[in-house]
Amino acid sequence: MFSPLMGGLQKTTDYRVVLPFYIYASVSFVVATILLLLHTDIVESNYFYSYTLAITHTMALGWGTMIIFGASHQLLPVLVEGKLDSNTLAYLTFGFAAVGIPILIVSFYIFHFGWLLQTGAILVNIAIIFYIINVFLSSFKSKKRNVHAWFIITASLWLFSTTFFGLLLVFNFTKNILPNNSVSYLSIHAHMGLVGWFLLMVIGVGSRLIPMFLISKYTNDKTLWKIFWLVNISLISFIVFKTLELSTLYYYISILLAFIAVLLFADHCLKAKKVRIRKNVDEQMKTSLLSILQMILPLIVLIITLIFLPTKQHDNIILLYGFCILFGWITAIILGMTFKTLPFIVWNKVYHKKAYTGKTPAPKELFNEKVYKLMLIMYIAGFVLFIFGTIFLISLIVKIAAVALLFAAVLYVTNTSKVLLHKPKKL
Amino acid sequence: MSVNNIITNDNERCNFALIGLYEVDDPEVGLNVVDLGLIYQLDFDSEEKKLDALMTLTTQFCPMGESIQSNVTQSLSNAFPDWQINVNLTFEPPWDFSKISPEGREFLGH
Repeated sequence: MFSPLMGGLQKTTDYRVVLPFYIYASVSFVVATILLLLHTDIVESNYFYSYTLAITHTMALGWGTMIIFGASHQLLPVLVEGKLDSNTLAYLTFGFAAVGIPILIVSFYIFHFGWLLQTGAILVNIAIIFYIINVFLSSFKSKKRNVHAWFIITASLWLFSTTFFGLLLVFNFTKNILPNNSVSYLSIHAHMGLVGWFLLMVIGVGSRLIPMFLISKYTNDKTLWKIFWLVNISLISFIVFKTLELSTLYYYISILLAFIAVLLFADHCLKAKKVRIRKNVDEQMKTSLLSILQMILPLIVLIITLIFLPTKQHDNIILLYGFCILFGWITAIILGMTFKTLPFIVWNKVYHKKAYTGKTPAPKELFNEKVYKLMLIMYIAGFVLFIFGTIFLISLIVKIAAVALLFAAVLYVTNTSKVLLHKPKKL
Repeated sequence: MSVNNIITNDNERCNFALIGLYEVDDPEVGLNVVDLGLIYQLDFDSEEKKLDALMTLTTQFCPMGESIQSNVTQSLSNAFPDWQINVNLTFEPPWDFSKISPEGREFLGH
């Protein structure tokens, strides 16, 4: 009747590999919100502006990418049904990224597009090469490669495409190595990162974690494959249309494909939620589900930009598009998933070897739920106010929004510190 | 024979084992492994003093799997100190809602 599992359970990744990424990302989130508060005038400036570039890269690399690196090193065994191939490669990824990212950000901040920016970009690229090697070795040494594994493999390739193209753009500032000036390629660079890296990664990881944390048995690989192709074709089509300098009307094809992909993913998560075994949905999962709805927002902003604002300069709306992605669904899913994954990592670290010496606290007891709720209120208030303030260019509202986001970031750090510094209770 | 849907060859010892196993929680769900229906089988060999346990997890990808398995082993070792304890995992049949006890279902909001 029962057949014992052959080969045993998949091994979890050593916490020492993962935690530095979480700590680094937390600090970056605070830095990004401080920069935003100091430079709220960016909403009235062109997107190719030193402070905008600095904040964007702090959010994209320091916050989003570093936490995804941490989480993906932890979750890779779950996603590829194997184990992380190399801790050393993970440490190298962290080391090079940890040094490269601040150099890159400082270069943007002081608008130094020479050797300093080039050094930062090279270091970040080296970090990502180590990351890709680790993902590939882990994935291809595993006997099975499911749809989730393909999401993470493809996302990591898009990440490298993004940063390598970014490196070319950096060198193109000082030597003409590309046909046009670097600014004309920024939308390609940005979308490779936002869609190819973040969207694919979040869907690939989220489609496994969201049902798992909801204790739901729902799975639908067929839908996930459809989403996988829709996102990739959407991005490739955009790159082709942009490169061939076709009419902006063609962009609707790319947007439509991405829109369908997001709707299918939302439907996938809602179906998982519907058949969940645990009826109570905790705050972290509610935040994660909210982030999926937030994915639709930037697409709407993009359509508005294309339909209503074709001729005039509306830099604030373009900035809003980026804000709705980086401070929107990417941040929301990180806020939610951090307090699902990090307590588990620390719980395993603290209590694994104290097996059955009595009742151990639940992972959710490792962080303060009230602080989490307050963080969420601050985040949502900051997010909504920033959108309002940016659309109507009301600097006071943008300032208040930035303060709220900074509070959210500080509360996030407070709670992650509480988890990280957790000591075993006397049992 | 079965106790709480656990297949066993010794009801008395199984009941004794359950006292400790009710204290072992799946940390994510917050429910003990017995009410959650994770324990499939307890085979007692009183001559060899050997206990073979077969259990599952809510998902094969459970990040707490090692800890839960380890806790179950420790709980059984505490109950039967001079016995050899083997705790094996299986995902055939996979765990589902039907495995949860009425008390467990109530705890989960059903």
